[in-house]
Amino acid sequence: MALKLEVRGIGKDFLIPVVGSVSFGVEPGEFVCLLGPNGCGKTTLLRIVGGIEPASRGQVLLDGQPVIADRRHQRHVGVVFQEDRLLPWLSLRDNVALVLKPLGLDAPARHARAAQYLRLAGLQGFEDYYPGRVSGGMRQRAAIARALAIEPDLLLMDEPFGALDAQNRRIMQQEVRRIWAETRRTILFVTHSIEEAVAIGTTLIMLSARPSRIRELIRNDGSQERGKLVDDLNTMIMEEVQRQQATDLPPQGARS
Amino acid sequence: MSARDWAGRLHLPTLAVLVVVLVGWTLLSRRYGAYVLPAPGSIVTGFAEIVRSGEIWTHAVASLSRIAVGFGLAIVLSLLMGLGAFASRTARGIVTDLLAILNSTSVFVWIVVSLIWFGLSNWAPIFTTFMITLPVVASNLVEGVAAVDRRLLEMGDVYRLSEYEKFTSIVIPSTLPYLVAGMKVGFGLALKVSVVAEIFGVTSGIGYVMNYSREILATQMVFVWALVMILIMVATDKLLFDTLNRRLARWR
Repeated sequence: MALKLEVRGIGKDFLIPVVGSVSFGVEPGEFVCLLGPNGCGKTTLLRIVGGIEPASRGQVLLDGQPVIADRRHQRHVGVVFQEDRLLPWLSLRDNVALVLKPLGLDAPARHARAAQYLRLAGLQGFEDYYPGRVSGGMRQRAAIARALAIEPDLLLMDEPFGALDAQNRRIMQQEVRRIWAETRRTILFVTHSIEEAVAIGTTLIMLSARPSRIRELIRNDGSQERGKLVDDLNTMIMEEVQRQQATDLPPQGARS
Repeated sequence: MSARDWAGRLHLPTLAVLVVVLVGWTLLSRRYGAYVLPAPGSIVTGFAEIVRSGEIWTHAVASLSRIAVGFGLAIVLSLLMGLGAFASRTARGIVTDLLAILNSTSVFVWIVVSLIWFGLSNWAPIFTTFMITLPVVASNLVEGVAAVDRRLLEMGDVYRLSEYEKFTSIVIPSTLPYLVAGMKVGFGLALKVSVVAEIFGVTSGIGYVMNYSREILATQMVFVWALVMILIMVATDKLLFDTLNRRLARWR
């Protein structure tokens, strides 16, 4: 099967190399979770894949086309950020309908599609609410509805539930899994929670410490027992954290 | 409505203080005479008089139309400056510096300069109003433009919104509260400043008529016109700016 997304030797430097060299391929309909120690460039990698930020080296191909970080792009990539990034002065419906304008839909079609995806995200009946009048979980649902409404080739999610409490987080994980099963979108999902990744992803990519590369790529197809997988990943992440600290701190003797 | 609600609405404690002030005022006016401090009663009569003669409208309209022109031009130029500040960082720097200079210039400088440039005409108060309100409105607007959430603009780029769509759906709505706040302060200032400029060279307007009343020793009329100014101020605040703010805040 042709790859939906191809990441080839992507790297990014911010004074120091943060993302070393990362390569992987994603098939259509895969749900990929990116894991790794803090500061290893998970979010940066996602932003490069989305064409929000240019890479220092390497190339990203979406449906065989190179992704170039340029405002005037023609890609259909939905992004759910850490914050909802809804416009507070627009109702949830208008927030979703706004991003449908560049697709060339007329107003009735935009409203119909906004309603359709808000319903899919479990927001039926809240279409006319302003973002400030609903809970954080519901705002993130609206952001997901917005990302899905453009019927994206690729859906990028950057720790979308980081700001939610544990209970809401669990509910939203199930919801995303359900939405993925219903829409079969290709998803790249950044998280720092191993439990979250194991619960929702079909493919887990563990990045190493800075400068990051892929430490491990795991198919989460049920062949491995979940508890053991979580334990293994936790061990891996701790090793990477220690390696990071070893390179970040000056040697013991140098400290006075 | 309960008694407590009415008490809240009428600002009962404020009213009590007002009564004390009025009593003190009356006593002082008896002590020093009507030329120095006219009695509260004579101000009420004077007010009724200018309402009946229609004089209140002549002078209020004269002052307000000068403000409308000067303040209106200041708003237009502020909008252009805001647009410039949004378009380029260099322009924002220049505009901010210019406004800092204008902000620290005294009202009196503009009054004197406008008398030299425009002579005894309508343009003196108009120009003074313009120069004084411009930095207030414009610096608010520039601040608003600088405060536009870049993360929302980035979202707009991700979803391929055009520059026009980003401007109308993101930049304008987030800047409007700053504009209204600037206009509210600016209008108050315009009213205070234009009246001062009207002392010189024009033959209508609240400032002119106040100064004229002083010259003919009608001190109570000075107080009457001061009251007119206060009423205009309160009315525009309550009717115009509070309504605008309520409309802007409906999504909060």
